[in-house]
Amino acid sequence: MHEFSLIRSMLDIVEDYAAKHGFEHVNAIRLSFGRLSCIEPKSLEFGFKIQSEGTKAEGATLEFDIHPVVVYCLDCEKEFHADHWCDACPTCKGENVMLNGGMEELKIVSLDVI
Amino acid sequence: MKVSVIKNVLDANDRLAADNKALFDDKKVYVINLMSSPGAGKTTLVERTIVALQDQYKIGVIEGDIQDTCDADRVARLGIPVVQINTGGACHIDGNMVREALPTFDLAALDLLIVENVGNLVCPAEFKIGENEKVMILSTPEGSDKPAKYPLMFREAAVMIINKMDLMPYVDFNLEKAKKDALTINPKLKIFEVSCKTSGGLTGWIEWLSAQITTYKKS
Ligand SMILES: Nc1nc2c(ncn2[C@@H]2O[C@H](COP(=O)(O)OP(=O)(O)OP(=O)(O)O)[C@@H](O)[C@H]2O)c(=O)[nH]1
Ligand SMILES: [Mg+2]
Ligand SMILES: [Zn+2]
Ligand SMILES: [Zn+2]
Repeated sequence: MHEFSLIRSMLDIVEDYAAKHGFEHVNAIRLSFGRLSCIEPKSLEFGFKIQSEGTKAEGATLEFDIHPVVVYCLDCEKEFHADHWCDACPTCKGENVMLNGGMEELKIVSLDVI
Repeated sequence: MKVSVIKNVLDANDRLAADNKALFDDKKVYVINLMSSPGAGKTTLVERTIVALQDQYKIGVIEGDIQDTCDADRVARLGIPVVQINTGGACHIDGNMVREALPTFDLAALDLLIVENVGNLVCPAEFKIGENEKVMILSTPEGSDKPAKYPLMFREAAVMIINKMDLMPYVDFNLEKAKKDALTINPKLKIFEVSCKTSGGLTGWIEWLSAQITTYKKS
């Protein structure tokens, strides 16, 4: 459900940048976020298609840089990456771990414009 | 042509929230943003907190229900100024909604403002409103897998209140697992185990909140 507000904010940012840089149309929007931030690319794409109608970003493709889940094992003193929530160290199987990444908020990285 | 942006999508909301925070700091109003799943016990905790602290502090409440005004009515019965935000079906409160609610309060006369967010574990964690701290409630019937499923909420919160401890004998809630996962996500998280029904464990929460307000007022 939060997609609605996120997309509206994305479109506001596009309008701001269009005013500043004077472009007419956006072909692609590059986004980044963490794997654990409850953002679903499919829902975002679906909502974006509808909400972007009539804007400079109508029909633009969304590209995603998804940051991995980063877990630090306090016993091995090593960091490792995973593609889902993980509460134990893959090396020592210990549970003395800290979540260090994967919750990064949604960012617009760049716009491909004409 | 490529245009580099590198901007949080919610940047505009973050700036509105910062404006709210500046206003609260100016008037020394301590603000908590209270979040949980639907029915975890937010309004009950608000009622208990008011009863415990209303002789000591001037309290105001913002209620963010999707539809009716039940929660606002419960708080108003305690003689506390309360504003119901009509979120118009939105699943969270944002910085702008809070700003629009503020003229109803005499901020200079308030010590504590409690904002009860919409029951939802996802986006309330993303939208800042100008709060000092986010406080979240996890209730035992919801299950202990919630930190793993909604880590952002547990990362952003300063406090996790585990509510409905009175139901522990009847529900399958792994308390140690819930606490461990929450601390894996946020090692600084303060945890209180309470029952808003029996009032068990609430003293710890009330003392923490009271100390926070005192420290803030002196700063
Ligand atoms: N057994 C038990 N029930 C509780 C406790 N705290 C709250 N409840 C009950 O749980 C139900 C929901 O409580 P509310 O305080 O309305 O929950 P809420 O989070 O404000 O709900 P929404 O605003 O609808 O999201 C009510 O029937 C409360 O009486 C508790 O500690 N133990
Ligand atoms: Mg409520
Ligand atoms: Zn290890
Ligand atoms: Zn929402």
